[in-house]
Amino acid sequence: MTVLQIEAVRKTYPGVVALDHVDLTLEPGKIHILAGENGAGKSTLIKTLTGLVVPDEGAVLIEGRDALHDRTLFEKVAYVPQELNLFGPMTVAENMFMPFNRSGFGHLTVSRRAMEKAAAELIKRFGIHAKPGQFVNRISVPDQQLLQIARAACREEFKVLILDEPTSSLTANETEHLFRIIRTLRDDGCAIVFVSHKMEEIFALGDTVTVLRNGRSVGTYPMREMTEDQLIRLMSGSSVPLEEKFQPRVVATESDVILSVKDMSGPGFSDASFVLRRGEILGFAGLVGAGRSELMQTIFGYLRSTGGHAFLEGEEIPKGRTDRAVALGMVYLSEERKHHGIFPLLSVRENISLSVLDRMKRGGIISSARENEVVADTIRQFDVRTSSAGKKIAHLSGGNQQKAIIGRAMARRPRVLIFDEPTKGIDIGTKFQIYRIIQQLAEEGVGIILVSSEMTELQRCASRIITMYSGRITGSFDQATTDVNTLVGAIIGAPENRHVA
Amino acid sequence: MSLETTVPAAPSQQPPKLPPFKALISRLAVNPLGGVVAALVIIFGASCALSPHFLTTFNMVIIARALAFIGLVTIGQSILMILGELDLSVGAIGGLAGVVGGILMVQLGLNPWLSLGLCLLMGGACGLLNGALITQLRLHSLVLTIGMAGVYGGANLVATKGVAITGVPRDITFLGRGLVMGVPVPFLVLLVCLAIVAFVMLRTPVGRYIYAIGSNPDAARMLGIRVNAIRMGAFALAGFLSALAGILMVARLGTAQPSIGDTWVLGPIAAAVIGGVATTGGIGSPIGAVLGAVIIGIIEDIIVLFGISPYWQSVVSGGIVVLAISFDALARRYLNRDAV
Repeated sequence: MTVLQIEAVRKTYPGVVALDHVDLTLEPGKIHILAGENGAGKSTLIKTLTGLVVPDEGAVLIEGRDALHDRTLFEKVAYVPQELNLFGPMTVAENMFMPFNRSGFGHLTVSRRAMEKAAAELIKRFGIHAKPGQFVNRISVPDQQLLQIARAACREEFKVLILDEPTSSLTANETEHLFRIIRTLRDDGCAIVFVSHKMEEIFALGDTVTVLRNGRSVGTYPMREMTEDQLIRLMSGSSVPLEEKFQPRVVATESDVILSVKDMSGPGFSDASFVLRRGEILGFAGLVGAGRSELMQTIFGYLRSTGGHAFLEGEEIPKGRTDRAVALGMVYLSEERKHHGIFPLLSVRENISLSVLDRMKRGGIISSARENEVVADTIRQFDVRTSSAGKKIAHLSGGNQQKAIIGRAMARRPRVLIFDEPTKGIDIGTKFQIYRIIQQLAEEGVGIILVSSEMTELQRCASRIITMYSGRITGSFDQATTDVNTLVGAIIGAPENRHVA
Repeated sequence: MSLETTVPAAPSQQPPKLPPFKALISRLAVNPLGGVVAALVIIFGASCALSPHFLTTFNMVIIARALAFIGLVTIGQSILMILGELDLSVGAIGGLAGVVGGILMVQLGLNPWLSLGLCLLMGGACGLLNGALITQLRLHSLVLTIGMAGVYGGANLVATKGVAITGVPRDITFLGRGLVMGVPVPFLVLLVCLAIVAFVMLRTPVGRYIYAIGSNPDAARMLGIRVNAIRMGAFALAGFLSALAGILMVARLGTAQPSIGDTWVLGPIAAAVIGGVATTGGIGSPIGAVLGAVIIGIIEDIIVLFGISPYWQSVVSGGIVVLAISFDALARRYLNRDAV
């Protein structure tokens, strides 16, 4: 029995084949994983399933009927996009039932009471920490994520639920909670499509997996017969050495302090002190909301500190002055690529050269020759895949945008580099490229801070790991001699685990 | 990292053969200034065909002179718009600078050139004040400058009690009325200012930073760009250019009218949009914006030449403005219709 089936779907965009004769069959009561690297065609496939993209060839059948002819069939497919897509200044209840035509809230008027009552049930069912009448921009990001899922799932008629990386801003607990909800929906007979880059989630949740590579389906397999190694090999088309480590091979000396932070306080954290040495990769572990990004942004001058000092090679970084921090040789790469990283209206060239314009001017004028040279170097060195440097960066895939941004930071030749979740939403092949870049930089003597929520990432790269819990530093551990349990204890605030290496 | 080459692909495939008309449209749509240049050519050509009085030296001088004032304000406003800001007090600053000039020169008898310098400084200072309030108090530029327009406009009336100051010295009136090789002096001032500003915008780091801030101000700060300093500088420049326009207008009229600048607020914004500047920031250029102002200037001129009833003038000029800004969107839709 199948609820949705696509056959030999082909979709091309100018210059690219996004999907090449892909088949997919979704069964009720099954969780179907879509796996593949960035740019493998997952998004196009999802958009085909939801009716947003009309394929050039092939068929989409929903409950055996041709959905390309009868587009109302697509109403049976509920879709939760990866990005938050809510109305911030409206209430939780209003967001849930927009556009108010679903369960008889009146055709001309909207009954707030009826709506909030209905919303309260869904809030309970999905375990959202919010009141129906609360404004959405006042509730936490994980709750917004859950609300988005609740919104898609409150439609009675849906048979298929598509979740595109729903856990990227959830903590472990919230993820577990979400998984329980997903399993309940599955047991109710819903067909679920789940997209994620996180291996443990794929294996915890999936019944079946379809692997996409370069727009083609590599195959569909039952999860039971799949191993992590195998899956990665299918996704990348080659084997990635999973055990590879990226700690800098040159050991940092005690005296070589490049950045020292003393009693720093700011929004969401307080009294943070630590040092970073030249050639070291210093990991920052913690839960979402532990204050790691806020600490880094405050050191960098993006957020205002309420106390404390940061010194880069003995020189104090003035409060709230990102320009001074950059001039002193610090670069911060935000996890919010879209909000803090790319300039969507500018070309790849302009995006990359922006950080080094002050170094490529002659008599105050930008030298196009030098600019083109630096940009071409960066594109080559960081393997940014773009048809030309003049292309708008917004048209590149996420992984390539990230590589362009890292390349831009490198072109600056920083002395201290802060990576905040550099591999969020990045496929495993590109991930390892990024690890190699980080390692190489550390070996060249750059001091590196790596903020990450993935324990494996920290263990793979960091030489030392600082843990944060609820706005405070709870410990500093030598990676080589510390086991995961100690680290996890420190990031969930278990007091007995506090000790300093 | 892999060594896979990603050298920019060779100019991909042969350009598909397009019918000549479509090819022309396509070329215009690709160039950022294409839309405004095309609209300008069409409107200029139509004007020549419609009226024998249009393409005469006399009429061209009139257009050029009228254009100069609006053009100067447009340069400043377009830079603010590229930054994602807007200043609705530019007209008031221009008017205030004009009457302050009149007071200094006529009532206080100061050296005209010194007065001129002081007025420009004052205009810059007014703009800087706008910028400082917006960046330091994190206010929305639209709302703040509506308020400041009231402040500057009110100061103007306090100083003049609404009465024009006559008797502006002769050595200044040359700036407004004079011709150099047949070209009105204010127009030359506009060209010089435009050349300098366009050069800064297109070829210097500060210009790039302005586009970057307009595209994504948070990311710009993350890169260490001095976002607030650049914003304040741009407001100061807009104030300076408005004051320049105001003082040139005084020179042209020979009197400091309190009403100078009353019409300098919406025209330059429309001109910038016609010229391809996005109201949301990050896109466009001051050259395009000034070309947009030229279009508006021609439209207003041809309406007068045709003797259209003054009651209908704004209906016609407004309608043509809407047509002009639609060109870009229409061209794109036309090209995309059977692309892909």
